[in-house]
Amino acid sequence: MLLRTSLRSFLAHKWRLVLSLLAVVLSVAFVAGTLVFYNTATTTFDRLFAATASDVSVQKAQDELAANTPGRTPTVPVATREKLAAEPGVKAALGQVMVATATLVDPATNKLVGPTTGAPTLTGNWTDTPRNSVDVTSGHVPQGADQLVLDADTAKKSGLGLGSRIRVITESGNHDFTVSGIATFRTTNPGAALAFLDTPTAQRILLGAEAYTSVEVFGDGSRSNDQLKAAALADLGSGFEAKTSAEQQKENAAGVGSFLSFMKWAMLGFAFLSAAVGIFLIVNTFSMLVTQRTREIGLLRAVGGSRSQVNRSVLTEGLILGLLGSTLGIGAGLGLAVAMIRLMQAVGMNLDASSLQVTWAVPVVGYAVGLPVTLLAAFFPARRAARITPMAALLDHAAPAEPRANRIRAAIGLLVTGAGAAALVAAAGSPGSTGGLLLGAGLLATLTGSVVLGPLLVSVLVRLFGGLLPALFGPAGRLAQRNVVRNPRRTGSTAAALMIGLAVVIGASVVTSSMVGSMSDQIDRSVGADYVVEGPGGPLTPAMVDAARRTPGIDHLSTQTRVPGELVLPGGATVRGRLIAADADFARDFRLPVASGTADAVFGGGISVGQDFADEQHLKVGDPITVNYGEGRTQTLPVAAVLKTGNQLFDHRFFTGVSTVAKGMNGPAPAPEVLFGTAKAGADKAAVLADLQKSLAEYPQLMVKDQAGYKEMVKSQFDQLLAMVYGLLGLTIVVAVLGVVNTLALSVVERTREIGLLRAIGLSRRQLRRTVRLESVVIALFGAVLGTALGLSWGVTARSVLSEQGLTVLTVPTGTVLTVLVGSVLVGLVAALVPAFRAARMNVLAAIATD
Amino acid sequence: MTTAPSAAYLPHSPEQGDAAARARQVTKAYGSGETRVAALNNVDVDIRRGRFTAIMGPSGSGKSTLMHCLAGLDAVSAGRIWIGDTEITGLKDKQLTRLRRDKIGFVFQAFNLLPTLNALENITLPMDIAGRKPDRAWLEQVIDTVGLSGRLKHRPGQLSGGQQQRVAVARALAARPEIIFGDEPTGNLDSRSGAEVLGFLRRSVDELGQTIVMVTHDPVAAGHADRVLFLADGVIVDEMHNPTADSVLSRMRRFDGKRTS
Repeated sequence: MLLRTSLRSFLAHKWRLVLSLLAVVLSVAFVAGTLVFYNTATTTFDRLFAATASDVSVQKAQDELAANTPGRTPTVPVATREKLAAEPGVKAALGQVMVATATLVDPATNKLVGPTTGAPTLTGNWTDTPRNSVDVTSGHVPQGADQLVLDADTAKKSGLGLGSRIRVITESGNHDFTVSGIATFRTTNPGAALAFLDTPTAQRILLGAEAYTSVEVFGDGSRSNDQLKAAALADLGSGFEAKTSAEQQKENAAGVGSFLSFMKWAMLGFAFLSAAVGIFLIVNTFSMLVTQRTREIGLLRAVGGSRSQVNRSVLTEGLILGLLGSTLGIGAGLGLAVAMIRLMQAVGMNLDASSLQVTWAVPVVGYAVGLPVTLLAAFFPARRAARITPMAALLDHAAPAEPRANRIRAAIGLLVTGAGAAALVAAAGSPGSTGGLLLGAGLLATLTGSVVLGPLLVSVLVRLFGGLLPALFGPAGRLAQRNVVRNPRRTGSTAAALMIGLAVVIGASVVTSSMVGSMSDQIDRSVGADYVVEGPGGPLTPAMVDAARRTPGIDHLSTQTRVPGELVLPGGATVRGRLIAADADFARDFRLPVASGTADAVFGGGISVGQDFADEQHLKVGDPITVNYGEGRTQTLPVAAVLKTGNQLFDHRFFTGVSTVAKGMNGPAPAPEVLFGTAKAGADKAAVLADLQKSLAEYPQLMVKDQAGYKEMVKSQFDQLLAMVYGLLGLTIVVAVLGVVNTLALSVVERTREIGLLRAIGLSRRQLRRTVRLESVVIALFGAVLGTALGLSWGVTARSVLSEQGLTVLTVPTGTVLTVLVGSVLVGLVAALVPAFRAARMNVLAAIATD
Repeated sequence: MTTAPSAAYLPHSPEQGDAAARARQVTKAYGSGETRVAALNNVDVDIRRGRFTAIMGPSGSGKSTLMHCLAGLDAVSAGRIWIGDTEITGLKDKQLTRLRRDKIGFVFQAFNLLPTLNALENITLPMDIAGRKPDRAWLEQVIDTVGLSGRLKHRPGQLSGGQQQRVAVARALAARPEIIFGDEPTGNLDSRSGAEVLGFLRRSVDELGQTIVMVTHDPVAAGHADRVLFLADGVIVDEMHNPTADSVLSRMRRFDGKRTS
């Protein structure tokens, strides 16, 4: 019975619930879509790894420190393969050469071949493994020093085919080949580029030695992979490492998994935010429905309906909305997942859209988002409905004013906001982890407080500035002004939805623009070099360094490279650190912020530490630090300088000389990763940049920039990050805009008689539309102003908290702030389009006659 | 029913300048073919300037439809209507709206006022909409006439039903419209408040020279008018000059008897 009345009521009001439904559908779709996308993506990779992993893969054993030294490719001797092939139970043992550091270039256009969005370019030898990931579908396998097989996707993207010339750039130089075959992936290629040479050529140009990067063992089925692995390790002795098929798959999956799962959680986070914003919309809808039905509910009570029945009937309507919205949302989520897969394909990550992975978790999580949101949103209106007395059935004016924003509300709101503001102020004064905690608490409290205070602020602000509306827009302005405050709670919660999204936008943009501003400031203060040359992924080859050095107009170059090391301090503590090995000229090109000691001593056999590190570990100039480079190579260096903190270029880094590191490693100097160039005194810096770019032209993978270009690049990287955040926030803002549309549309319905009266006494359609538009713009602008204020306070505080992490300069992105404010006016206008149109189209007579 | 009788109720000397509103052969029909229902059937009416006219009839007689058509709120199916010298049949919504704004005042049965505006703002609303400044002296006179001086800052929610209707009357008067239409303006009031409101309407005709047309089913209300038009089944069946509540009532009884016979 109860269900039937709820269902009827739901259907009777279906058009008024459409936008609420849409809000639920959007949030649930995003959640479900994210999960399906994540599952599908991981499955694509898992299948690839499962299809290609050998039974046992044998590599050189090495510790983590040594493995990460730039320019080193660990290899196993050729004899290893022969030994393993002779093992019992081994069907085949294949020597594999595979590196990710070679660059492919089309010599005809001097353009990069292969992915530029993060996926690797793998170059190796062609082996006929029983589990090859590709088949040669045209041409033939590489034979001889001139032939190369390219994967089909890459060939297609770069416009290369059989017979095309292709260049492989490695540390050993540039090597040109002819494409002799095209290889097609057996499973979905997630986006890597593959190039195959014959084995001797691969060994010669990729490793510079007759060796393999790994030996892949395939069993004949008589022994398990674990047995094969144990036998291999026992046979080869120490210095080798073996991984079974399962271990390889796990390791590979972990590699992509961390990226995918970061993406998953980020997207889910934004989906939950939009669901939270959706609550405001649904609360408004149900409140208005309850208000409109006051008489009806009063009648129900008068004929004997109990409070809890009334309460339950409203909640049941919420439940129906939640069930329907979640179900539709889960369906829409599948579509969204396909769209995301297509999007990833567009940026170079191929995923298999034909086999969407829908696990049981997708519907479960979908309903777990959609149902609580609607029930929570229906809870307060339901409680209010239950308080309606039977008398309401008899009252003439069946739409009583909703309870006004009261004093208790004001007190709570002020208290919470005040506490939050205090926490923010305290956070700003205490950088570091305490500041971080305070920032988090302040953020939550100011947000909650603003939501609570919203309705009161509406009244206050309209009292202060509302007079502008009639002054500027005449009678439409006056009507809009009064309508905004006739139900402050509704206006407040509509605006709050918008406020939340915009506060995050502004906060994030203050932090990122401060990052860019600080970085640029630090570069100005401490970098003397004019140019920077950097390669993606791999170190720079000697040929590149030579080419740069030969550029006319370049006075000198300095290099730096990162070396992983473990620092053993005088007290015995060990710390993993990032050593920056640079040559002596580095001290000329960078003004190290030396607090004590000298910069020259750092690159002449010493090491530098940061002030924070020195304080923490009680270090001073002259104290000995032992550096462990792995594989038993250690070296003791004196602290030559303590560096002031607060500069992202130098913080948390240990500087030392590249020749010092070479000595410590007992070998050649590690290959440079970054090159800094300085123009000769009096030279035209722009011309020298052009010359430098020209001398490095045959290495299109290199980034060659001057200071301004470098700053621009850093900025564009942050902008990309910000664009992603904005994109994800877009959903939240869309839901908030739907909320404005919803409030206006329902208000128009609610005010039907009023509109009829206004039209009867001569308000033109245009004036009526303007009234609705103005109300909409005021709501949107109010949300935007609150959101901007909140976001600024968050961003400014976060910047202070992070000041020791290098955010030395506060930069307020005025452009973004203005865009948000102007944008909110546009949002208000757009949101009002349909409600205003409907209000204007209303039949005057029917409107007057409406009960 | 033939259309001939309605001609009998035209004023004897129809001078153009004397009519605040005129209707000629007005028909208003809903639906078409078999389901066609005529709410008004070839109605001719002249509303004289400076007079208080009541339109009476049982529910379903078409009296409200007639008023809505005369006031430009509803479109006619056939026939022509003038407000003053302006023919309103065939006007576009924009022109009709302007006409209602500038030449017509309304007093509805209920929900006459905007809840968000106070009494004074409600009174001046039509002039606000038109972007005109109210005539101060006239406004004060109107407000005095309806006796609202002390309550101008009150919102409708703070006023009694009678007070709300008086504000509505004041609003209709304040803009000095050519004609005021009342749709059961006392229908929701108790008899004392109703009598008060009718008294103001009467005085605004007598003292301010206003033209008023009022739809009512209440013989007492009709008794305040100068002339009563009786409508039945979409046709004007009778009229009465200088009516009293009793004479209207007895005419209604007769009319009811005729209908049921």
